[in-house]
Amino acid sequence: MHAIQVLKESKFKEHGRITPEEFVAAGDFLTYKFPVWSWEKGDAAKFRDYLPNDKQYLLTRGVPCLRRATALAYTDEDEDAERLLSFGDLSSTGNEADEWVETHAGRSTGLENGGAVGEIDEIPDVDDHGISGAMGGLSVSGNDEAEIPDMDEIPDMEEDLEGDDEATAAPKPPAVPPKSANSKATQESARSNLLAVRTYDVMITYDKYYQTPRIWLIGYDENRKPLIPTQIFEDVSADHAFKTVTIEAFPHSTTLQAASVHPCKHASVMKKVIERMNAGVEEAAALRKGSASGNSTPKEKQKKWLFRRASGNGKDDKNNNAAGGDEEVEGMRVDFYLVVFLKFIASIVPTIEVDSTASF
Amino acid sequence: MTIIQFTPFSSLVEPNFWHALTNLKIDVLRLSDESVPITGYYSPGRSIVDRETGNEIPLGCNINIPGDALTNDIQVPAHSVPASGLFKNYNTIEEFKEADKTALFNGLSQEIWDSIAKGSTASLNRFLLITFADLKKYKYFYWFSFPAFVSKPAWEVEDDWKPARTEFSDETLTEIHKLSSSRPSPFFLVRAIGEKTEIASVEEYGSFFKDVPLSSVHPSATPSNPGWPLRNLLTYLRHHHPSDVSQGLRILCWRDSEPSHNDQWKSRFGIAKVNGDATKEKPAAVGWEKNVQGKLGPRMADLAPMMDPTRHVLADQAV
Repeated sequence: MHAIQVLKESKFKEHGRITPEEFVAAGDFLTYKFPVWSWEKGDAAKFRDYLPNDKQYLLTRGVPCLRRATALAYTDEDEDAERLLSFGDLSSTGNEADEWVETHAGRSTGLENGGAVGEIDEIPDVDDHGISGAMGGLSVSGNDEAEIPDMDEIPDMEEDLEGDDEATAAPKPPAVPPKSANSKATQESARSNLLAVRTYDVMITYDKYYQTPRIWLIGYDENRKPLIPTQIFEDVSADHAFKTVTIEAFPHSTTLQAASVHPCKHASVMKKVIERMNAGVEEAAALRKGSASGNSTPKEKQKKWLFRRASGNGKDDKNNNAAGGDEEVEGMRVDFYLVVFLKFIASIVPTIEVDSTASF
Repeated sequence: MTIIQFTPFSSLVEPNFWHALTNLKIDVLRLSDESVPITGYYSPGRSIVDRETGNEIPLGCNINIPGDALTNDIQVPAHSVPASGLFKNYNTIEEFKEADKTALFNGLSQEIWDSIAKGSTASLNRFLLITFADLKKYKYFYWFSFPAFVSKPAWEVEDDWKPARTEFSDETLTEIHKLSSSRPSPFFLVRAIGEKTEIASVEEYGSFFKDVPLSSVHPSATPSNPGWPLRNLLTYLRHHHPSDVSQGLRILCWRDSEPSHNDQWKSRFGIAKVNGDATKEKPAAVGWEKNVQGKLGPRMADLAPMMDPTRHVLADQAV
């Protein structure tokens, strides 16, 4: 096998691929804008020399996942599907049925993808997949608890104390309904008590071979037990479970295994998204120039944030806002690559809230 | 007046920690079951808005045990505060079962109490972790305890916990966020005079700072339940400032790791009070973590599905 050279020249607009330098620039921007993300060193034995020692990969911990992707059901007025499709809004075509959206039909707006729910139902049918053979011996349920030995009881007063300590909040239900809540809210709180809230540690590495970022997931169930592979696949949309998501050795650890979205399609998807965003923004800029009005909608503001000709990691937000209608548009800067990448990943793992940019 | 109910710590052990324990056991500890220092961390309690119902769902009151918890240079994430403890690994399941947990627990609570008596808040979050690692099967049995002193009578809060915004201006909270981010500390005092906001260590209470809100980083996201660390902080204050305690302490439960957007601060404020004299003796303590069944007992992490090489046919089949 011939050695693959590290990508040197910037190609992200042409191919959707990025160089290690661009990965670092995009990671710097992500950690600056969203401090839940941090750079990690990883295992010293696994250093990649084309990345700075202290910027080997990106990590965010405890990303919540309220529901299983396999349990999603959509309605026409589903707002969050809309959010995830916001790139569709940004496009000039407005045609939401194009290829990029198709890849994540599970999160589509619903009408033309009414069959998506049916497809999702296929997931429990894992026996058709070769992988399931390997999974067969795994216990998914809590029956492994039986293996936990009975401990000697904690003697003396301690146990009584632990048992009925009036100042210890009951561990469940996790969601306490607000006291002032109206009856509807209370009902919904009751429903939310039944949520099995998982959390994920999410890592982004640079994949030298595909020249794109690559995402890795380590999950915990509502009791903070590590998730096993079959459980993780419950949080992957039907189109991707078992196909593009696999369990592999995490490249910055000598021992850790994690679930990963295989990056073979990342570059082409990213290229499309970037093209569409650029087209949409150029059009919007032309419109703005034409009308010269300052009343931008929140969505336009988001576009501005992404496409502004910012320098210094966007630290000069205010100056740029002041620039107003005169701003030049040069398309998406590579700094924003990971922000966009996370929106794409969010469509593969729709219930894992990896896209922290949504709150902005 | 309502009795304050504290949300207990929940342990969250990263798989990396079990890998590190495996290596430590093979390379360093071998058959030793001596106590080893361990460091974890906790973060301001987080909640998430459920997009399907619009409800705010509090996430766990977690203490994280990362992969580097057994090293001297643990990387604590932004806005999080470290907590140190004692780690003890047993060689056999029998030794793990028969460990003198009461003695371990009492030893640690004594250490915390001695530290309180000396006037230090440095040991208030000390915790204990005992484990048995079945290395062949990739199974890890573990039990945490987070000793917290029991107050008699119990602490009460006047008129329940309220949003911090009812007590502090937006500017003050922004300033607290800035100050506490630049030097994260589990506990701190806040003084806001006019436009000037200062924070200081709790040890300064009573001298430079007096009658000021006490603040503690709150890993609990449940609005009416402060996090576990406040419990020992209140014990400390009751021991050293009994007269202030009977009049009521102004407590800010700090939960904002991000500066607030649209004035939606998540931190809570309340006045905590307890009547009667505190004992000068070490009070009883609680804090063993319950298992998945909600009972007092150990937990088990089964990492075979992710660690066992014989199970990794999976990876080979992929791609």
